[in-house]
Amino acid sequence: MLSKTKIYLQPTPVRIWHWLNALGIITLCVTAVQIRFPEHVHLFANYKAAILLHNVAGLVVTFSFTLWFTYYAFISRSMLKVYLPSKDDLQVGLLRQAKFYLLTYFLGWKNPHHPTPENKFNPMQKSAYLAIMFILVPLVSLTGLLLTNVSPMRELVLMVGGLKILIAIHFLLACSLCAFLFTHVYLATLGKTPMAYIKPMWTGWEEEEIDEHPHGAA
Amino acid sequence: MIMQTIHKILRAGPILLLLGLAPGMAFSMDSSDCMACHGEPDMVGEELVIEALGFDHTAHADVGCHACHATITEDHPDDGLTPSKAGCSECHDEIGEEYGASGHAENAGCSDCHNPHRALGPTAVSGHDMNLQCSACHERADMQTRHAEWLPQADLHISMLPCITCHSPVEDFVISLYIIKRQSETLFGQFKLASYDELAALAGDKPIQELVDTNADSYISLAELRMFNLDSENKQLRLQGMMTPEVVHHDFRAQDDRWDCSFCHASGPGAMQVSYLSLAERDGSFRRVAVEKGAVLDALYGTPDFYMVGSTRSTALNYVGLVILAGGMVMPIGHGTLRFLTRKNRRHEEK
Repeated sequence: MLSKTKIYLQPTPVRIWHWLNALGIITLCVTAVQIRFPEHVHLFANYKAAILLHNVAGLVVTFSFTLWFTYYAFISRSMLKVYLPSKDDLQVGLLRQAKFYLLTYFLGWKNPHHPTPENKFNPMQKSAYLAIMFILVPLVSLTGLLLTNVSPMRELVLMVGGLKILIAIHFLLACSLCAFLFTHVYLATLGKTPMAYIKPMWTGWEEEEIDEHPHGAA
Repeated sequence: MIMQTIHKILRAGPILLLLGLAPGMAFSMDSSDCMACHGEPDMVGEELVIEALGFDHTAHADVGCHACHATITEDHPDDGLTPSKAGCSECHDEIGEEYGASGHAENAGCSDCHNPHRALGPTAVSGHDMNLQCSACHERADMQTRHAEWLPQADLHISMLPCITCHSPVEDFVISLYIIKRQSETLFGQFKLASYDELAALAGDKPIQELVDTNADSYISLAELRMFNLDSENKQLRLQGMMTPEVVHHDFRAQDDRWDCSFCHASGPGAMQVSYLSLAERDGSFRRVAVEKGAVLDALYGTPDFYMVGSTRSTALNYVGLVILAGGMVMPIGHGTLRFLTRKNRRHEEK
């Protein structure tokens, strides 16, 4: 027998971070297209406006990253628990979750992962978010900060190998982040209804169906 | 082209006339006679000395001292006469007219910016030296503050562009690559434009051009640029790129179209095809060596320190980026299609 229960999955600081991040990253992607292809793309009034907006959006993402880091590392102190895949996740969980996404989902099976506030991400999410939040976002932000003001930080630019190498790193990491965004948004619609996973990120509460007699049902 | 040549001949008319009359006047003193005294500070003093090394390669040396100092006699300096000095606009009349109409003419004459005994064409002067003329009056720190009020990364723009790129109606630019050298062996020593002597010391027995042009064919290929930039022996040297004008105008008003970043940054990779390696010469001038077309658009090691956002993007990197983005669409498109096709399976009770 299935009963519905509500879990408070996404605390307010996390939701603020998430939507601030989303707004910032989308602005970064759109302005970046004009910045890289200015003779073809004219979405904003002029080139300078696109650059200034890109810089501001970059600072917003960097700020929201700091908010996220502070919350998980110092306030809830659950960063490692939430984001670091366990031994079981790596040995069994990853394969089980991949099997769900690539096969059993299409057969109509249920998601093998049931989120709790302490374990809200499935093993694939944990691995992906670990790479995104601990490697990709910090590196894109740092390279972006260096590019925002090249002259005073010239020695750091030279340490990377030069301006072009820095630009190449920033560009390719940003493309990877954007590619992740496509997958992330799509996977967010894989709940029972397309909004089932998106709504909790707005309200904080996720509706979960619990089988009260998992072994008794015939 | 023919018209330009005719104009040049007409402009040089007075000089040619003087040169033509000179034999008739039985005037036997020539430039080498002048330099015999004026090349020696001990003989004429610091104020009247002409540095032969800098003067000999100028166009003014080609026309000779008498062209501008026409009243000099055989008895100079014993005749006690002060030699005449030709006005610049007697030959450079178009420039004189253009400059005279600009606001600068009220504040500075030609010789405030140009030493006629060292006057060189725009391609023989480094972008850094062009800016030295401006910064003699327009203090750099002040200019930086004023530009920073509206120009993003003003300090970067001011260091990497000749002022006349925006403050004159030039339309024709190339990328000039200069060798800059770290001024001390310390990690954070400042980079400055390498002098001829510094480069000669590094090149040893070879001509300095071969520091980059390793096969000595007077053409810098992309492979040679990469080799130079990746060579650990050159770690104290870097190539600094500047967008330099091919011709110079003397109307130094800020151009309306330069307030808009897109004049340079949206010109597209097509406008960034031509570049030169500009090498310091012994006489203080600069000599250009042609660089492979499109070298500054190389993704990484062609010109690692020269990047003009929007204009020098690499096509190869664009494709890599596109592949990454396409990878991100695999899940939404591939999985989404299968999801749509198997939607009936999820309408029943979950297993």
